[in-house]
Amino acid sequence: MSKFMFVFRGGGFATAGVSPTELQAHLTKWRSWLDGLAKSGHSRDGGIPLQNPGKTLRGRQRTVTDGPFAESKDLITGSLIIEAASLDEAAGLARECPVFEYDGSVEVRPLLTLDA
Amino acid sequence: MARPIAADLFRRESGRLVAALVRLLGPARLSLAEDVVQDALVSALEAWRFDVPEDPRAWILKTAKNRAIDAIRRDRRLGPLPPELESSEKLSTSMDHALSDAEDAGNQLAMMLSCCHENLSSDTHVTLILRFLCGLGPREIARAYLVETDTIDRRLHRGRRELQSLGRLHDVRASSEVRARLPSVLEALYLLFNEGYQGSDADNPFCTAMCSEALRLTDLLLGSVVTSSPEVHALAALFCFDAARLATRTDALGVFVPLRMQDRTLWDGTLIARGIVHLGQSASGADLTRWHLEAGIACEHAIAPSLTETNWPRILKLYDELLALAPGPVVGLNRALATAEIHGPAAGREALLALEGDRRMTSYPFYWGALAEIARREGNAREAARFYGKAISVSRSRAERTAYERTLRSL
Repeated sequence: MSKFMFVFRGGGFATAGVSPTELQAHLTKWRSWLDGLAKSGHSRDGGIPLQNPGKTLRGRQRTVTDGPFAESKDLITGSLIIEAASLDEAAGLARECPVFEYDGSVEVRPLLTLDA
Repeated sequence: MARPIAADLFRRESGRLVAALVRLLGPARLSLAEDVVQDALVSALEAWRFDVPEDPRAWILKTAKNRAIDAIRRDRRLGPLPPELESSEKLSTSMDHALSDAEDAGNQLAMMLSCCHENLSSDTHVTLILRFLCGLGPREIARAYLVETDTIDRRLHRGRRELQSLGRLHDVRASSEVRARLPSVLEALYLLFNEGYQGSDADNPFCTAMCSEALRLTDLLLGSVVTSSPEVHALAALFCFDAARLATRTDALGVFVPLRMQDRTLWDGTLIARGIVHLGQSASGADLTRWHLEAGIACEHAIAPSLTETNWPRILKLYDELLALAPGPVVGLNRALATAEIHGPAAGREALLALEGDRRMTSYPFYWGALAEIARREGNAREAARFYGKAISVSRSRAERTAYERTLRSL
């Protein structure tokens, strides 16, 4: 088994337009998916949600800007470490993620380990 | 396995928090209140999908409070705050107080009273209640009413405008203007309950919620001396008796079940008992209102062990009185059915045919269903089939249509 990180991007919501009931239904889907991954032994810890906005530092000048903001399509909103036999299997597990319902994406990256 | 979150938590908290914020900050800040609460719920979704907090309600409340304070500081354009909120400390303390459980009933009462503005129609009152107190989105409201979302958006737009023109919400403490509002409020709650109970779309996932919300809001009225009265007890009784029977109105497939075939053992005894208490308390006033009469009728159905053992003569008498007080097609129809139970199918048919001139009747599936039922009882299968056919042709939903198709096939 190898370790991978799911990087969740987007899948956020415009302020208006999604009812409280719909928001909670979506939350339930996320919880089901993550509970499923824990039960099947693919994940050990809960994921890490990221707040926004934060600050971004860039370049030799270390220019500091506020952001990124919720409107950014590729805004990273969280991450999760999972274990799978292969990158293909890991990608397969990511297919069921609810993030796609609201136009989000999942980046699946193998962890680079120090083991030879 | 994660901690489960209470069903409807987001919807209920939305109602509670919007009412609390608007009562504290004033209706001019209605949009700010809505945005703040929406943001708090979105944050909850984003954070809780990974880990649900120990106290979800407290989490949402704290988040909403912080966002509200930020939003207020950012947007002074909306005008001055009430003087008692001018300083940061005062704002924070006042907010804690406004968002507390102790203030919840007062907040929602104020919101409910204010939504029933005299310049707005009853339908708009119900729409505003559904949106601001029950936390339903516009699409969800449109679905419940079987109207276009545009219609709901228009009502909300008009409603918001009226609300925002108020300096403050109509507080229970200002009792004279509150009493004047009560008839509109009761009317709105009745419509709300009916939409959930009689609503033509039994597939609507909010049916039961609309009934329980109407009862909950009626209980709020009963909780304050200013808004409580025997009449409100009558309305509460009506809701209890009808809600007690919700479980058997439709079957597992969401199709309406005729009263004669409903399993009464599944009716909610606790709700019926509550209804009887409310009915008793409704008798202490001098006025006999339509709510009293409807509650009396609902009571007779709820306590009857079977269709044949129902006190039809009493029901007929109550319908006669109701017809005098609040005439309408549904009253006429149900009265005719009660007539059939006492005086036989022929008398029932006569009473029904007398209503044929009313266009609201002939486009109402239950009217043709009633004629069909009478024909069926008389053994006249052909007539029954003809009437069921008509009922099906004016059916407004799968629940109605399938119910009639089923009975048609059984002839």
